[in-house]
Amino acid sequence: MAKTKTESNKKKKNKRSSSKKLLSGPNVMTMKTKSTSNDSNNPFETIWSRRKFDIIGKKRKGEQQRTGLARSRGIEKRKGTLLKEYEQSGKSSVFVDKRIGEQNESLGEFDKAILRSQRQRQNKKSKYNLSDGEDEYDEIDGVGGGFFERDDYEDDDADADGTEYEQALLKRVNDRNMHDPLETGLGEGRHKSKKEVMEELILKSKYFKAQKSKDKEENEELKEQLDKDFTSLLQSEALLSLTQPSKMNALNALVNKGDLKENLIKKAEMNLPPLNESSKQDKPDSYDKNVKQMSLEKRARPSDRTKTPEEIAQEERERLEQLEEERQKRMHGNDDSSDEDGDPEDVNKVSAKKLRSISGDDLGDSFSFDEKSEIRKGWVDEILQRDADNIDDEEDGSSEDSESDGEASNDEEGLEDNDEPGKTISLKDWEQSDDERLNTDLEDEEEDRGEEEDDDDEDERGIKGKDMQEAKEILSKKFKNRKADPLSAVKPKAIGKEAQGRDDALPFVIEVPNCLSELCSLLEGRSDSEVLEAINRIRVYHAISLAAENRKKMQVFYGVLLQYFAVVANKKPLNFKLLNLLVKPLMEMSMDTPYFAAICARQRIHHTRARFCEDIKNPEKSSWPSMKTLFLLRLWSMIFPCSDFRHVVMTPAVLLMCEYLMRCPITCGRDIAIGSFLCSMVLSVARQSQKFCPEVVIFLRTLLMSTLEAEPRSLQHSQFYYLSELKVLKPWLRLLGHVSDIQSLDFLTVMSMDEDSSFFSSDNFRAGMLMSLIETLRGFVSVYEGYNSFPEIFLPISTLLGEVLRQDNIPGALQDNIRDVSELIEKKAGEHHMLRRPLQMRKQKPVPIKLLNPKFEENFVKGRDYDPDRERSEKKKLQKQINREAKAAARELRKDNQFLFEVKERDRRLIEEERTEKYGKARAFLQEQEHAFKSGQLGKGKKRRR
Amino acid sequence: MGATLFFLIGLKALVLLLRFEKNKKKKKKWKKEEQIQEHQQEEVEEAVNQLAGIPIIPNDQKSKSGVIFILERASLEVAKVGKTYQILNSDDHANFLRKHNKNPGDYRPDIAHQALLAILDSPLNKAGRLRALYVKTEKGVLFEVKPHVRMPRTFKRFCGVMLQLLQKLSISATSKREKLLRVIKNPVTQHLPVNSRKIGLSYSSEKLVQLQDYVAAASNDVNLVFVVGAMAHGKIDKEYTDDFISVSGYPLSAACCIARICNTLELKWRIQ
Repeated sequence: MAKTKTESNKKKKNKRSSSKKLLSGPNVMTMKTKSTSNDSNNPFETIWSRRKFDIIGKKRKGEQQRTGLARSRGIEKRKGTLLKEYEQSGKSSVFVDKRIGEQNESLGEFDKAILRSQRQRQNKKSKYNLSDGEDEYDEIDGVGGGFFERDDYEDDDADADGTEYEQALLKRVNDRNMHDPLETGLGEGRHKSKKEVMEELILKSKYFKAQKSKDKEENEELKEQLDKDFTSLLQSEALLSLTQPSKMNALNALVNKGDLKENLIKKAEMNLPPLNESSKQDKPDSYDKNVKQMSLEKRARPSDRTKTPEEIAQEERERLEQLEEERQKRMHGNDDSSDEDGDPEDVNKVSAKKLRSISGDDLGDSFSFDEKSEIRKGWVDEILQRDADNIDDEEDGSSEDSESDGEASNDEEGLEDNDEPGKTISLKDWEQSDDERLNTDLEDEEEDRGEEEDDDDEDERGIKGKDMQEAKEILSKKFKNRKADPLSAVKPKAIGKEAQGRDDALPFVIEVPNCLSELCSLLEGRSDSEVLEAINRIRVYHAISLAAENRKKMQVFYGVLLQYFAVVANKKPLNFKLLNLLVKPLMEMSMDTPYFAAICARQRIHHTRARFCEDIKNPEKSSWPSMKTLFLLRLWSMIFPCSDFRHVVMTPAVLLMCEYLMRCPITCGRDIAIGSFLCSMVLSVARQSQKFCPEVVIFLRTLLMSTLEAEPRSLQHSQFYYLSELKVLKPWLRLLGHVSDIQSLDFLTVMSMDEDSSFFSSDNFRAGMLMSLIETLRGFVSVYEGYNSFPEIFLPISTLLGEVLRQDNIPGALQDNIRDVSELIEKKAGEHHMLRRPLQMRKQKPVPIKLLNPKFEENFVKGRDYDPDRERSEKKKLQKQINREAKAAARELRKDNQFLFEVKERDRRLIEEERTEKYGKARAFLQEQEHAFKSGQLGKGKKRRR
Repeated sequence: MGATLFFLIGLKALVLLLRFEKNKKKKKKWKKEEQIQEHQQEEVEEAVNQLAGIPIIPNDQKSKSGVIFILERASLEVAKVGKTYQILNSDDHANFLRKHNKNPGDYRPDIAHQALLAILDSPLNKAGRLRALYVKTEKGVLFEVKPHVRMPRTFKRFCGVMLQLLQKLSISATSKREKLLRVIKNPVTQHLPVNSRKIGLSYSSEKLVQLQDYVAAASNDVNLVFVVGAMAHGKIDKEYTDDFISVSGYPLSAACCIARICNTLELKWRIQ
């Protein structure tokens, strides 16, 4: 039945598609015939619209409109509906045509007749007979022939509506020969007979059985396939490479067994399946075993991770510790044997415990393990030699020994001190000590230094003398302790050993010295490289990343080291190399403890400045900074960033330097050297930060002025005239005689000379000084060239340089340099002058017109609403629809009215016509009458009378 | 049916009325604000003018003459390529154009893009001396470009704008409800000011002029209208032009020619 439906649909579709070009709307079927008859060839029914723009690629569609056709179609439709209504509007009864098949236009007359006759017969029968099955139609069959032959149409409901029944029949008529009994049976959902039901049941059960067996087979197949795959996998090389050979065998066996087992299982299945199952459960499967083994196997492991800095520091520390331990041991063998003879048990214990493995102790007397010790012959020899030395030393004099003991005790005390006050000592302590030293510095630095050292020594001696006994006791105690638990007593051992091992080699583990004297005693007499090594060891062993308290220690040590640096800088025969070496650890340490380093520096600058302020009040004394201050300033400029806009250390440091330059009067040649050194230092600082230091420029200028003859008149116009009061202008740098060659001056050698040495008044010194001055000036010129005020700053200097050039005794090289610099200044100043613009009122850039961005969519599609507000666009759409619908409705109504009007008009006209006709007839008749009357045909004599 | 219809119509009328009222109010508001702003500006300028003895940069806003550009024969053509509408260009649609028996070399919307950018990005425009800008496409569609449009810099986006313009007939600003691009009625002469001198530019012209002298010779109260072709080949029609000149001995690209004109005018009017 469904088929029939689809077929009919298809037919409809075909028809529709044929007429679709012209038709649209719901009433396709009704219009069909007309459209075919008109055949769309009437050119008067179409209206052609011309396109303005020919858009390439756009298909021409809907260009012609058949308005006439559409209109006529509309009229037809109204005739069918509105006209009918109109006609019946005045009537009280309706004639309804209910003949069978009359409404259906697709039926021919013959079909209609068939339908009717069928219906007639059926009605006759069913009215009185109770129906029982198929035989009903056999009797009836007369017209249709084999029409209902195979039909099991049983629906004979009495209440079947006329139209429904009709439709059913129609279908049958339309496709007589296409009947599928099953489909119709199912489709109609009728009651099934018992037989059918049973058959269905049987079919179902059979089907399920078949399905089951099929599933089983499939499973079997799958299993076999799996087994096959597994064996092939085993034989392939991939698995071989992955598994160990021993496992391989097991697997192979498994496969073979599996085969066997399969057979077995098959058999068992045939015989007694339950038993087989139990046997399976009893012994664990070899496959399972393998699986378990595999899971227990070793997995891939991650490699060692990269170490953190803390760990690296820790390792370094451990290495040092170990080295120290070894060293101790090597050295200790001697000590033990000499000192601790009284305690043989302990020695034995220790030797039994730990020395056995290393076998370092007994080597001196027994060479029984020669084969073993051969490998370590090198250090054995060394130790032996060292032992001998030690003995020598001891023989030489006990003074050193005692000293070292004293040192040890001192250390011990220091440690104790350190423990008690805790934090307070760190900063204050060294500052105070420094203060004392600074105070003493005032009188006579060099001598004082010597004295101080002496004092220190004396102190030590005193302590030594007093505590010698005690110290020894402590030491011995310590050693015992160490033996009791060597691991926990590493530190005290270290301290103890520090003193003892000092003479021969640097200990690996050095405790942090708590004050300068400790450090001095530690580093006394060491070579520079050893000093550096010692510092490094202390730093490594107490690396901050290792423990929290190490930070404290390192801070103390940093202070001490800085002090040491200052002390070294002030020594008369200057150990410049050592200073240089000290810079590196100091810099690194201040990286570690930046805050503390900054505090130290600030404090020092503070004190220096306070002292300088006092010095300046005393006109006799030279207030220029000492070597120590100079070196410290240089050190800080290296440690701390110079380019910061504001820095806790560098800003005051630079200010201090400038203050020196500004306020200190020049009294001798040495002052000039210091001043120019300060200038170059400020230059190195300013090179990065490009800060302007007017003091330096002024200082340089004053020095240049001092090369001229003392003629203050000529300089009166200068803006620096007031300086002549501050810095007494003497021709310090005036070259009196001719200088053949200029040697560059070494600052250190200059500084090492006496204040009133004749060198300072020699022309050589002056020429060299001038040379360095010019170089510094050149540096400043290049640093400040970006300044807007460059010409104002440097042009006076350039004129001054010109005046200097005019002097008689300027050597050639110096002349060239001066000329270069002055030219450079003039060139740069000229550039600046070039760039300068006159002052402008309301200087502003022209304001451009305000630009607006166009709003557009990517992938614009015409007709789509691009309103971002969904609701609004939706509303708009609906509104549009409503408008459209309203318009359409109005249009329809209008057309309806027109149509009705036309119909009424026609009726009216008809009536009119009728009426006029009647009227005319009547009138004609009357006229005839009148005519007859007048002509005298009706009356007599009247006509005659006329 | 009738009742609902009437109801709907009534409703609509009401809504329209309300909207109109609102717009009116808004417009009034804007006008007020503008007036206030203008007032303030004038006051400031007066105050400045009153200050004696200080030279002020000359600021003659009033007596500014402007320039108008017309781009003729811009090849901006919309076509349906596949399922979407696109502006045809010779790179992407070469095969499509060949299929339709067109010469791909003629479809060059990039020329129009460059020319527009050259005009709109010139200091001349920034200084507000560009009066108007019209573009006429090869198909004869004429549209107006407001001088304060910021044209899309990339070609693809430009094509997007043009596509939308040619389909929707106007493009508004993102922020305001102002129409920046608008398709207008031909001919272009009805949109030009009265005292305008229309100068057509073409390499083919016999009259080769030095542009500086030519511009200097033009009197100040005349509006200069330059008609430049934005096509790949051919020349503009000189029907409505008063003068037909060439500015270089070499054939110039549209953008270059426009840059030349703008530069000359900037020099003349001292725009920096």
